[in-house]
Amino acid sequence: MADTPHLLLVEDERSIREPLAAFLTRDGFRVTQAGDAEAARQRLSAYAIDLAVVDVMMPGEDGLSLCRSLARAGTVPVILLTARTEEADRVGGLSAGADDYVVKPFSPRELAARIRAVLRRVRAGEARPMAQAQAYGFAGWQLHTADRALVDPGGVTVPLSTGEYNLLLALVMRPGQVLTRDQLLDLTQGREAGAFDRAIDNQVSRLRRKMEGAPKAPDIIKTVWGGGYTLSAEVTRL
Amino acid sequence: MTRARRWPARSLSGQMALLLALALFIAQALNFTLLLRERRTLRLAQVTGPAVARLVDASDRNTSGRSQGDRLGGERDGHRSRVRRLASAPSVAGLDRETQVEAAVLSGLREAGAPGSRVVAILRPINPKDPPFRRRSPPPPDVDQEIVIAAEQPDGSWLMTRLPWWGGEAGLVWRLAMQTLILYAAMLLPVLWVARRIAAPLRDLTAAAERFVPGDDAPMAERGPPDVTALVAAFNRLRARVTAMLDEKDRMLGAIGHDLRTPLAALRVRLEGIDDEPDRRRSIGLVEEMDRTLDDILSLARLGRPGELATEVDLAALADAVVEDFRDLGANVTYADHPRLALRLRPTMIRRAVRNLVENAVKYAGTAEVRVEQDAREARIVVADRGPGIPADRLGAVLEPFTRLEESRNRDTGGIGLGLALARAIAREAGGDLHLRNRDGGGLAAILALPR
Repeated sequence: MADTPHLLLVEDERSIREPLAAFLTRDGFRVTQAGDAEAARQRLSAYAIDLAVVDVMMPGEDGLSLCRSLARAGTVPVILLTARTEEADRVGGLSAGADDYVVKPFSPRELAARIRAVLRRVRAGEARPMAQAQAYGFAGWQLHTADRALVDPGGVTVPLSTGEYNLLLALVMRPGQVLTRDQLLDLTQGREAGAFDRAIDNQVSRLRRKMEGAPKAPDIIKTVWGGGYTLSAEVTRL
Repeated sequence: MTRARRWPARSLSGQMALLLALALFIAQALNFTLLLRERRTLRLAQVTGPAVARLVDASDRNTSGRSQGDRLGGERDGHRSRVRRLASAPSVAGLDRETQVEAAVLSGLREAGAPGSRVVAILRPINPKDPPFRRRSPPPPDVDQEIVIAAEQPDGSWLMTRLPWWGGEAGLVWRLAMQTLILYAAMLLPVLWVARRIAAPLRDLTAAAERFVPGDDAPMAERGPPDVTALVAAFNRLRARVTAMLDEKDRMLGAIGHDLRTPLAALRVRLEGIDDEPDRRRSIGLVEEMDRTLDDILSLARLGRPGELATEVDLAALADAVVEDFRDLGANVTYADHPRLALRLRPTMIRRAVRNLVENAVKYAGTAEVRVEQDAREARIVVADRGPGIPADRLGAVLEPFTRLEESRNRDTGGIGLGLALARAIAREAGGDLHLRNRDGGGLAAILALPR
């Protein structure tokens, strides 16, 4: 792999694609552009692409379909650009096997940060997450990805902040795996604002408090001394 | 509703029954008035004829001087035996005079050329021991009165005769009542049945119109009489049109959303090229605000369309999560802990409403204090700030869409006040409401109340 990561930017709107390509190039990436899914496939076979940034809404074959076929091939990670705000659509992207997504209008810096985070995970040889499930079950609790809802064993939805949700999702998608604070920051804080280790600790304690508020809540999120956190419960995809 | 309760016959079947009862009653009353009049005329003729005959007969013999005693003709024949001579006018005290009979008898006597300057006719109860009745024909069972008719003779004496008098008017009234009741029974049941047959589909139609949610359920069954089925069919067509229009609106809003977000996204990307840091930040702020406003407009326009389902949600955790999101972005927002409070609601929508309230407070006051309250009837999320507040006379106005208080709540960026309007619309859709109140010591409290 070359020092400069090679990105494929798939976006039908030139007004977005060209300035974005310029920004990412300035930011230290090598960028190849494609205006539709067909062109994207040509570029993918012609170059060694490290990561694809794919717009969801495209005429012809849409971004989700392209994303699914890339995920099946399993070589090129994908970040989706979506203009739709409906939560279900965002998650539709993740269940199509995307590694991450940003919602338009997005901050190019945030996109760059997320690209780097995904590339870091790939380079570190981390297992890429499986395509996201509609819901995960653990210790009687359920985490619904479609509406980002945590449902307690009694069936009551316990709303989570975005940070809490991202943290819990990261843990739930990697059960039994110890995640360091750095890794968790990487997985949950895509935004450019500098986040600190203590933010993770804070969110974990908030999550624990919310989950202990209900009956029969064992110590689901375990602290690993000197390491980080892990989800001790068994997770099932629902 | 209150009118219907006060006046039960407002329902269709009630009105039809009432109207029919009234019409039947009037027809019956007219009928019986005519009958009564006929009966009276007949009775008059039945009484007047014999009375005149007897009196003329008796007075003829009287003038021929044959009879002297108080009883004329003894018991020899029927006519004479029923006429008596009185020395003076019969006493009428306490008895009813029949003036019609008097007038008829008087004119009968005149026609016959018999004397009689005055005639008195009175009604009195029959005395069963009275010889004429006892011996000859006993009075018919339904006759309990007799009429006494006396005519003054030229010599100042009076000739008097008695005849049975058919009353029976009370009986007539009874018959009227009975007949009417029988008619009611025979007519009202079918009328009520027909009215219900019309009213039931109308009630269904009302219910269907009340709970009409576009595209939610199947069209109404067209049943009942043809007039009603035509109405139901028209309603079904109307409903299909409304659903189609709303679907079209959703498609249009989706397209608008996409077509506006794409240039916004392009603009946002280009803004990274601005070197001047403060300028770049301000411009990014503008794009983000435009995006939020666009989101508010689309949400407001889509409100009421089928979407997210209501589930049991911990309202305290919801308020906490919203506050936490703001704190993560560095906003100065506090939350007063509250124990678990499970309510049935649409979490994404309510979260949106609370977020708008906090955003409003942060925008105008820089800080916000959020707390959850509850009582037996409702749960409340209170978002309070120490900003400039809102003049009392404008508290209602800011809840209307597109209202902004330029004078008191100054802001440097452009924009429209859609946040509070959306929050109120969401609260109302959930069966609750949004209230604004100026706080003691300055600042505004926005109270999102939800039914428990």
